Amino acid sequence: MARMKFVCDSERCIECNSCVTACKNEHEVPWGVNRRRVVTLNDGVPGERSISVACMHCSDAPCMAVCPVNCFYRTDEGVVLHDKDVCIGCGYCSYACPFGAPQFPASGTFGVRGKMDKCTFCAGGPEANGSQAEFEKYGRNRLAEGKLPACAEMCSTKALLGGDGDVVADIFRNRVITRGKGAEAWGWGTAYGSKQAGQPPGGKS
Amino acid sequence: QTKAPDDPAPAGAGVPSQGGIQGQNIFDVKPEVKPDASSDPDYMKQNNAQRNRVQPGNNAPMWRGVAGGIEGYSSLPRSQAPEAGVLIQGPVQYPGSRLTTAGEAWRQVRNNWIIPYGGALFLIVLGALALLFLARGPIGHSDTEAGGARIERFTAFERSAHWANAIAFVILAVSGLVMAFGKFFMLPVLGLTLYGWLTYLLKNLHNFAGPVFAVSLVIIIVAFVRDNLPQRGDLKWLLKMGGTLSKNGQELPSHRFNAGEKVVFWLGTFLFGIIAVGSGLVMDHLIPGVVYDRQTMQVTHMVHSIAAVLMMSVLALHIYLGTVGVRGAYRAMRNGYVGDEWAREHHAYWYEDIQAGRVPAQRSRPAGGAPEDIKNVRPA
Amino acid sequence: MLLTKKNGSINAAGRSPFVHSLQRGLSQALPTMDRRGFLRRSGLGVGVGIAASSLALVKKAQAVEGRAPAIGQGKIEVKRTVCTHCSVGCAIDAVVENGVWVRQEPVFDSPLNLGAHCAKGAAIREHGHGEFRLRYPMKLVNGKYQRISWDQAYDEIAAKMLELRKASGPDSVYWIGSSKHSNEQSYLMRKFVSLWGSNNCDHQARICHSTTVAGVANTWGYGAMTNSYNDMQNSKCALYIGSNAAEAHPVSMLHMLHAKERGTKMIVCDPRFTRTAAKADHYIRFRSGTDIPVLFGILYHIFKNGWEDKKYINDRVYGMDEVKADVMAKWTPDKVFEASGVPEEQIYKAAEMMAKNRPSTIVWCMGQTQHSIGNAMVRASCILQLALGNVGVSGGGANIFRGHDNVQGATDIGPNPDSLPGYYGIPEGSWRHFAKVWGVDYDWIKGRFASPAMMSKPGITVSRWIDGVLEKNELIDQDPNLRAVVYWGHAPNSQSRGLEMKRAMDKLDLLVVIDPYPSATAAMAAMPGKPEDLNPNRAVYLLPAATQFETSGSVTASNRSIQWREKVIEPLWESRSDQMIMHQLAEKLGFGKELSKNFKMQKVKGMDEPMPEEILREVNRSVWTIGYTGQSPERLKAHMRNMGAFDVKTLKAKGNVKDAQTGYDLTGDYFGLPWPCFGTPELKHPGSPNLYDTSKHVMDGGGNFRANFGVERNGKNLLAEDGSASLGADIQTGYPEFDHVLLKKLGWWDELTDAEKAAAEGKNWKTDSSGGIIRVAMKNHGCHVFGNAKARAVVWNFPDGVPQHREPIYSTRPDLVAKYPTHDDKKAFWRLPTLYKTLQQKNLTDKVHEKFPLILSSGRLTEYEGGGDETRSNPWLAELQQEAFVEINPKAAAERGIRNGDRVWLMTPTGARLNVQALVTERVGPDTCWMPFHFAGRWQGTDMLPYYPSGAAPVVRGEAVNTATTYGYDSVTMMQETKTTICNVEKVTA
Ligand SMILES: Nc1nc2c(c(=O)[nH]1)N[C@H]1C(S)=C(S)[C@@H](COP(=O)(O)OP(=O)(O)OC[C@H]3O[C@@H](n4cnc5c(=O)[nH]c(N)nc54)[C@H](O)[C@@H]3O)O[C@H]1N2
Ligand SMILES: Nc1nc2c(c(=O)[nH]1)N[C@H]1C(S)=C(S)[C@@H](COP(=O)(O)OP(=O)(O)OC[C@H]3O[C@@H](n4cnc5c(=O)[nH]c(N)nc54)[C@H](O)[C@@H]3O)O[C@H]1N2
Ligand code: HEM
Ligand code: HEM
Ligand code: SF4
Ligand code: SF4
Ligand code: SF4
Ligand code: SF4
Ligand code: SF4
Ligand SMILES: [Mo]
Repeated sequence: MARMKFVCDSERCIECNSCVTACKNEHEVPWGVNRRRVVTLNDGVPGERSISVACMHCSDAPCMAVCPVNCFYRTDEGVVLHDKDVCIGCGYCSYACPFGAPQFPASGTFGVRGKMDKCTFCAGGPEANGSQAEFEKYGRNRLAEGKLPACAEMCSTKALLGGDGDVVADIFRNRVITRGKGAEAWGWGTAYGSKQAGQPPGGKS
Repeated sequence: QTKAPDDPAPAGAGVPSQGGIQGQNIFDVKPEVKPDASSDPDYMKQNNAQRNRVQPGNNAPMWRGVAGGIEGYSSLPRSQAPEAGVLIQGPVQYPGSRLTTAGEAWRQVRNNWIIPYGGALFLIVLGALALLFLARGPIGHSDTEAGGARIERFTAFERSAHWANAIAFVILAVSGLVMAFGKFFMLPVLGLTLYGWLTYLLKNLHNFAGPVFAVSLVIIIVAFVRDNLPQRGDLKWLLKMGGTLSKNGQELPSHRFNAGEKVVFWLGTFLFGIIAVGSGLVMDHLIPGVVYDRQTMQVTHMVHSIAAVLMMSVLALHIYLGTVGVRGAYRAMRNGYVGDEWAREHHAYWYEDIQAGRVPAQRSRPAGGAPEDIKNVRPA
Repeated sequence: MLLTKKNGSINAAGRSPFVHSLQRGLSQALPTMDRRGFLRRSGLGVGVGIAASSLALVKKAQAVEGRAPAIGQGKIEVKRTVCTHCSVGCAIDAVVENGVWVRQEPVFDSPLNLGAHCAKGAAIREHGHGEFRLRYPMKLVNGKYQRISWDQAYDEIAAKMLELRKASGPDSVYWIGSSKHSNEQSYLMRKFVSLWGSNNCDHQARICHSTTVAGVANTWGYGAMTNSYNDMQNSKCALYIGSNAAEAHPVSMLHMLHAKERGTKMIVCDPRFTRTAAKADHYIRFRSGTDIPVLFGILYHIFKNGWEDKKYINDRVYGMDEVKADVMAKWTPDKVFEASGVPEEQIYKAAEMMAKNRPSTIVWCMGQTQHSIGNAMVRASCILQLALGNVGVSGGGANIFRGHDNVQGATDIGPNPDSLPGYYGIPEGSWRHFAKVWGVDYDWIKGRFASPAMMSKPGITVSRWIDGVLEKNELIDQDPNLRAVVYWGHAPNSQSRGLEMKRAMDKLDLLVVIDPYPSATAAMAAMPGKPEDLNPNRAVYLLPAATQFETSGSVTASNRSIQWREKVIEPLWESRSDQMIMHQLAEKLGFGKELSKNFKMQKVKGMDEPMPEEILREVNRSVWTIGYTGQSPERLKAHMRNMGAFDVKTLKAKGNVKDAQTGYDLTGDYFGLPWPCFGTPELKHPGSPNLYDTSKHVMDGGGNFRANFGVERNGKNLLAEDGSASLGADIQTGYPEFDHVLLKKLGWWDELTDAEKAAAEGKNWKTDSSGGIIRVAMKNHGCHVFGNAKARAVVWNFPDGVPQHREPIYSTRPDLVAKYPTHDDKKAFWRLPTLYKTLQQKNLTDKVHEKFPLILSSGRLTEYEGGGDETRSNPWLAELQQEAFVEINPKAAAERGIRNGDRVWLMTPTGARLNVQALVTERVGPDTCWMPFHFAGRWQGTDMLPYYPSGAAPVVRGEAVNTATTYGYDSVTMMQETKTTICNVEKVTA
């Protein structure tokens, strides 16, 4: 069965923010909520690399584990989604998430945040696939339309790959083999457990 | 054994053993390596640029930084997204967690310690109180007004402060309990939708009741602190548990508040109360000048929930004693007046002082003749 | 109960056993009322059903009042269009429901972008909402913009213009066209200005790649990118010098990074360590403005090591020996180091990489063009490539990344002050050619001009219009000063010397802005200036133009491929398409009949609009020079429908492909028929993917250098040597361009039909309206109509035939100014006196470099484009860049007590003071500051919000660098010197 994953190739990413605006556009995400963001390390000096990050749809998702109302669920494809009708806006998922993925439309006094919003892997939410309610709460459901995430589809350099983990891994592996370098896959250790990497824990890098 | 050129982390460099982000060679493709590059004694000190020069594409130093929680550049303004530049929360070890990303560590503390053991503690307290009630029943013999004389135990001001505080506390406790534990006992019964709505309501109630509680807490602390200072006889009272546990046991004499109440006051109300309020105000984003980043919130949350659980446990006793635990206590706080009988039975020293005139029987201005009112309302 | 799918990968250790059992116990013991168990995703399988009814989805984009149809009931259409934000030309499928643009999808089939976008392209749908656009015509009344009707606007503008024309002649009006216009609109704009009777028109190319176009065209024939982004996949090494492609042409990096993974080496030379540099194998930092020392430093090592391609140089290049002598004498490593600050080994490494990894390509952009010696810098780049034998080779070439989406097209056939469409120039012969095409009398056109002499005198450039207003009348080379300016798709904050622009704007009698986002110009005009500058009779009008998504037309990408945009939505609010406005305004001005006589009209919002297809056909009939003749609307549309048929590396249609709709056979075509696509559409020339490529037959897009500069100079042959002709050419030696005489001499005349003979008699290939000469030379004989000559390493008609380094007008290095002084002043240069030496010397005497010790450069951020009015009005983009900033090195910052994030004043010798945020970074060297130039809306510390037309202010406003930029213009094209000036920075106190 498909297991949806993201990989962002830091050797390719150029911090063009297409993934960010593609997401905003596709899901009409409001100002202040960034389901995806791009971070540049060593900015302006040799060794500079950029990485685009959103929810990684973790295998053992910390957000899910701490949610007081259990509003998270995981689809058969391994996508971590949540139910905004149930969410109470407590912010715990954002404290727990290593990637800073959960976003809130507000950050006011008295702990007012509004309902949590995060990357859905373009898979909508618990409402009926393709319904207006689903769109308004979670954005489009591209997976249900047979499409992949908008951010990855529009990535300027194809640094960002999103989709079935095996396929993504294949593409990435090929790329790594042709260039013979740059094999680090951003965030996979944290998001999917280090077993994934065929690496002993505590190994390398 | 020839070590694969996989650039192991330097010993003790603070790289988390597990759960931390790692730049990983997920496909077992060995990075292109200059055979001599890793034998350079400064290999591990190289920054990303230096590493890229000897081993293009090997970004290990950068990944190490990422794993360590370093902050990169993000074009989003700091004022709006203070942590946008952080790819992965840095590793920490909270008491009770492994060394891992802060979020994960917090999750471990909350989910593995606070929730189970806090919940257990609270359940144990409740159970113990129930047992106590079954075994012992209400303490004391006299009704509140028994004995005729009207002694003002709590002024109207004290009572309103107390009850405001108590109501806020109950709201906070109930909502807090639902937030922390509801998903184990209520969610399965109510189902997600209903439970979600209820918790949403309670959560917001909690957030707004908090400040109310904070204010009233300060007032009652000020109001009651004097009579909760340690006094003669407190130690003895404590050693013998006030004598209340023996079925027919005579209560040991105490001042206005007995040593047990004082412990509750100092521990439950003062210590845990201040901590819960302080941390609660931070979690409510009410303290100006604080950057409400994730780590602040994690630490605050842990402090808050621990203080809250302890406070609830202590105050459960207080509430027990204030309601069914001690005969007449509740009415004392409700109406403010007690009779001689009740005063002598529970607070002998205090009663003595009143009799001796060292403490006035009527502390508030006899405004509107409160005692008469009470008489009217509740004919003996 | 838990919706979590429990699979093996869940780390059970993460959860306490206590909780776990509690959870399980409770959830199993108690019945649940939860309905969501049913809604568990079932994955792609279910999706197929939905995908079938594919787009019957929801939409929220209820952008337009009264246009919010019930959900899911709308008619879904998919329109194929092209991003309007840069020259890469990324295709977009716009999903339109009931006339509302509800979604956009990537076009994976596009060989140019394979579905990829940058931030701007991925946010382009915002144009379909356009909340911050100008909605109605407006007029400035007592400092505030008031809504008026189109009719009132036209009547008043036309009356004022005709009055000015009467009082001061047609040259008193200045027309600033746009590189954002489609080919059809650009062409119509040049026609419009011609019929108005003036050459006073220009567009962005002037301040963008004018130096490239002039320099490159004079080197080998055509002023354009020789190869393509795609072809860079065939390169073995790429040298980027003065291009920050990762931010300015992000999708081009798709091709480059792919190539890199296959071993292509990448070198970046830039004063800044850019996002592009971060991807390079070798990075060279040098002082801004010293491209010639760097390039010739590289060339020095190439010559020294004998790495040049001697046969190629002998066969196909003129003047290389002269250049070699100059380089070997002047650009020894020590001199290179002195001028540019680059040590020898870095230069040597670049030379070696370029020489040993051939074909190697060079990429440049604004880093080279925006200098007072830009024309020479770009030629130095050309010379490097010629020396290496890289031009006319797949994987080689000069990959000049162009700017706006249609700057190439607008340069080719748009409003240029020195040329008619297709670089025909403005001598009488060209006017006659176009008079014929336009179907108007040559003498009538002549009568429209102030005098016949003005007809062939190049107009003022957009970089200098302010001097056309401010300069003393006796010093300018036309009768009147400029009194009216029409900004027709151009921002004001993109031209230098903002303080003076404000004065010029105030002095005008008439300012008309025709733009979907006229905001910066509008605000600048409405903002109070010095009272003594204000013309009491000044009138300011804003007209809402439609965007390119609200009309159709063709657009030429950087690689010369032409793509057709379908209309996505009807013009929002009261906006109208540019061609409609041109047509309507021409009618009011009295030449509407002449302008539109060849065009069929279509009704848009009930009004007549010239059909873009018809305009393109007129282009096809006239622009032979650069081969805009083969790209009929039908062919272009067929290409758009069948993008998937083209190969990503070669751009050639794969196999036999027929367009299902029309039956048009695409076989052999290159995507978008990259110009030159010679002859008539029926000739079926496939377009030219790489220019001057002799390895291909001319009918397969092959070619050779153009014979444009004579046949001989100083006894040296200017034509190509024997054996270096395009594949299969009947003439295997160099030859001049074709005309009726040559055709007859060769005995090929009789291959023309009688009708062709009639049209070709007395004509050359550029003026033969039948295309017969082209057909015979190319199809029958495999010969190139423009001849076969050598490229020129020495462009003797330019100020510096061999490119010479000269210090910028404002330099921080008096020692080098002494060694490398600038040109002498010019008197009447594009109608204006132009300062070089006197100003540079004055700066030296005044010691301005002591007060302003830092170099100030400027450029681009991915999220914004140009002056930024469009992109800063797009909240999806604006959120990502909210503050104007200046990059400053930690050392320079520390000396000034500045910390990252501080507010600072940036000051330049013009007296301007910009209040911006400091971004302290090693991206720039200690001597350099850099600002993005996309901001406007703050003016020396104050917010201009009150001066915007209400509702049409962009989301983000900031200081424009060009408020502070200084004087300085290229000695050939009048390009402004925006990449190199000087400044100082100080912390804002209190
Ligand atoms: N995101 C975005 N993309 C755009 C545009 C936009 O506005 N925004 N505009 C489009 C247009 S119109 C154009 S023309 C292109 C421009 O594209 P580019 O020219 O690539 O972009 P710039 O940032 O202007 O300049 C490129 C680099 O020139 C460097 N530079 C400065 N001084 C010198 C010098 O003296 N010599 C050299 N060699 N380099 C120097 C700067 O440091 C900068 O990194 O981008 C197009 N694409
Ligand atoms: N300091 C400094 N200055 C520079 C540069 C630099 O690097 N540094 N770069 C220079 C370069 S290369 C360039 S190209 C210029 C770019 O500068 P400009 O081209 O002046 O900037 P834009 O904001 O892109 O201007 C295009 C205008 O056209 C409008 N427009 C868009 N579509 C249409 C349409 O269909 N019809 C009409 N009528 N209008 C339309 C837009 O709303 C916008 O107002 O800036 C130059 N200035
Ligand atoms: C003294 C009584 C209080 C008790 C018993 C209490 C209890 C709790 C509990 C049990 C939680 C949930 C922890 C979890 O789910 O892990 C919680 C959360 C929280 N409490 Fe309290 N609390 C008290 C006072 C306050 C006060 C005084 C404030 C504010 C001023 C406050 C603000 C919060 C906030 C903001 C949260 C986080 C959840 C949210 O944002 O909804 N609490 N509290
Ligand atoms: C439903 C909840 C509560 C009930 C039924 C209750 C009941 C009572 C009663 C009956 C008394 C009087 C005891 C006596 O006469 O000695 C009392 C006193 C007091 N209560 Fe409560 N109480 C409640 C909640 C709280 C809370 C939440 C606090 C503070 C956090 C609090 C703080 C006090 C204090 C400070 C006193 C004075 C005695 C002392 O200092 O020990 N009470 N309460
Ligand atoms: S990335 Fe964060 S939000 Fe997404 S699944 Fe993992 S923990 Fe949850
Ligand atoms: S904010 Fe919402 S989703 Fe996140 S933990 Fe709280 S209730 Fe769950
Ligand atoms: S997968 Fe979809 S929701 Fe997630 S970041 Fe990408 S576009 Fe946004
Ligand atoms: S779109 Fe691709 S290249 Fe651009 S920032 Fe996102 S991941 Fe990086
Ligand atoms: S701005 Fe250029 S690179 Fe970006 S999407 Fe548009 S055309 Fe493509
Ligand atoms: Mo440009």
